[in-house]
Amino acid sequence: MVISVSSKLDFFSKYAVKTEIIKPKRIAFTVKSEDVRHIFEELIKQHGHGAFYVSTIAGTDLPGENKIRLDYYVVLLPEEETIVIRTYLDRSNPLVDSLVDIIPGVLSGECETHDLLGVFFKGNPFLKRGFFVALDVAEKGIYPLRKDSGV
Amino acid sequence: MVCNMGVTKVIEVPIITAEIPIGPQHPALHEPLLLKVYADGEEIIRAEVNTGYNHRGVEKLCEKNTFYRDLFIVGRVCGICNTVHANCYVRALEYLLDARPNNRARYLRVLAMELERIHSHMLINAVMAEIVGFDTLFMQIMLDRERVMKAKEILTGNRVLADYMIVGGVRRDIDEVKRARIRDLLLKLKPRVEYYKKVFMEDETIVKRLVDIGVLKPVDVTSHSLVGPVARGSGVKIDSRASDRYDAYDEIPFNVVTRTEGDSWARMMVRWDETLEAINMCLYILEKLPFDGNPVPDEKRLPRVIPHGESYARVEAQRGELTYYVMSDGRSPSPYRVKIRTPSFNNVINSAFMYVGLSIADVPVALTSLDPCISCMERVTVIDLEKNTRYKLTLRELAGGKV
Repeated sequence: MVISVSSKLDFFSKYAVKTEIIKPKRIAFTVKSEDVRHIFEELIKQHGHGAFYVSTIAGTDLPGENKIRLDYYVVLLPEEETIVIRTYLDRSNPLVDSLVDIIPGVLSGECETHDLLGVFFKGNPFLKRGFFVALDVAEKGIYPLRKDSGV
Repeated sequence: MVCNMGVTKVIEVPIITAEIPIGPQHPALHEPLLLKVYADGEEIIRAEVNTGYNHRGVEKLCEKNTFYRDLFIVGRVCGICNTVHANCYVRALEYLLDARPNNRARYLRVLAMELERIHSHMLINAVMAEIVGFDTLFMQIMLDRERVMKAKEILTGNRVLADYMIVGGVRRDIDEVKRARIRDLLLKLKPRVEYYKKVFMEDETIVKRLVDIGVLKPVDVTSHSLVGPVARGSGVKIDSRASDRYDAYDEIPFNVVTRTEGDSWARMMVRWDETLEAINMCLYILEKLPFDGNPVPDEKRLPRVIPHGESYARVEAQRGELTYYVMSDGRSPSPYRVKIRTPSFNNVINSAFMYVGLSIADVPVALTSLDPCISCMERVTVIDLEKNTRYKLTLRELAGGKV
């Protein structure tokens, strides 16, 4: 299957471990978790802040594989093509570099993913429990979107 | 030492920085949200957004219920944009099923969503009129908004919560009588919207309160992931309808409205222009509604199992890009994961930087221009040195000398 990727993503080839399609036609690049920040830094360096925005950060708990999957949905402008940067974190120690200092727009997504799934974004000073989850749940140390949370 | 001088009460009004909580509870507040601003005199020097007052656990609820029950849950994420939520979720399921509704259903879906856009944009413009102290205009707009509410009721069976979308189509078809009535209502509404747009352009009070307030540069919009009319008001052309061309948006002509000013006024004007575009789209749909079969699928024949896979749907809600990620494991009758990202989630939480430099009185205007609706509440702390207690007063009480 030939995947047409715009020229903005040429440098992705050196990071992408795997490429797949999320319906309908959203190209997902699986990368190593330590590369996520480098990719965004390079995207900003090559094309600037006006060339894309991070639309959504979606975390998924995969207890069967002992992983937490993190998807960054990025909309490339001006053609508004949505691509996905996907990475897998160790479920027992889900840690990834924060992007909030280079892309302030990820603040809401990172805070939410931390509060609901327990992912730690290294370097984000705004992470806290109870940002979205009710405090009585947060105080018990429960991350509600984990499959074994019992919520 | 102070007590010795005969002073028993001190009013603590910080001279350097005053902390002013806006929300989370207030009669005029439409959403429980706390916007905490720090002011140096009248000027805002920092703003924080605090959420978590209304956690409902919708994503978890979706995982616990079946794919089809979730249709009713996602429609209740937000009252005023329930058809777009349902549409986005339904399309995510349709991508998984490789299903496509017929043309008539696709046109009717767009009709419902555009009617919703009209009443939502009218509501926030009315609220803006109220915020700037123009209550008569608020009432006038809300009165005319009733026409579109009626039109939506004729189409979907309900004024607000429609539950109109269903996998493979819509829940109700319309006949010639309904079509004529909706068209009639929209034709009566159109000159009123044109008039309100003129009021927003020419009225001195509105222009003075809105122009140059909360200016957002295009690069700030993209770096802070702001979407919808907020982005388009700053000249950033983001519109899922134009890029994803879902449902019948590939066949219905419309313009993506943008302005370059980037201030609160531009955002409200984008909404008025989009309202007019939406009315024209609805009239086009009512005129060209195709007849290619029944748009209402038989619920009993819907597929019981959703195939294994992932899908990510985008929809241009009234407030901006709304996204749904749905994952099915192919075995369970419930989704493995549903991720909802609403436009206000980005627009409200990530926009704290916008308030810096504004005066306190401009904060409600800037906030309303993002399309949540939160009013102001200022307080000071009174410290009673004799009793060693603290209590808070509103500025109104303070002005009335009730210290």
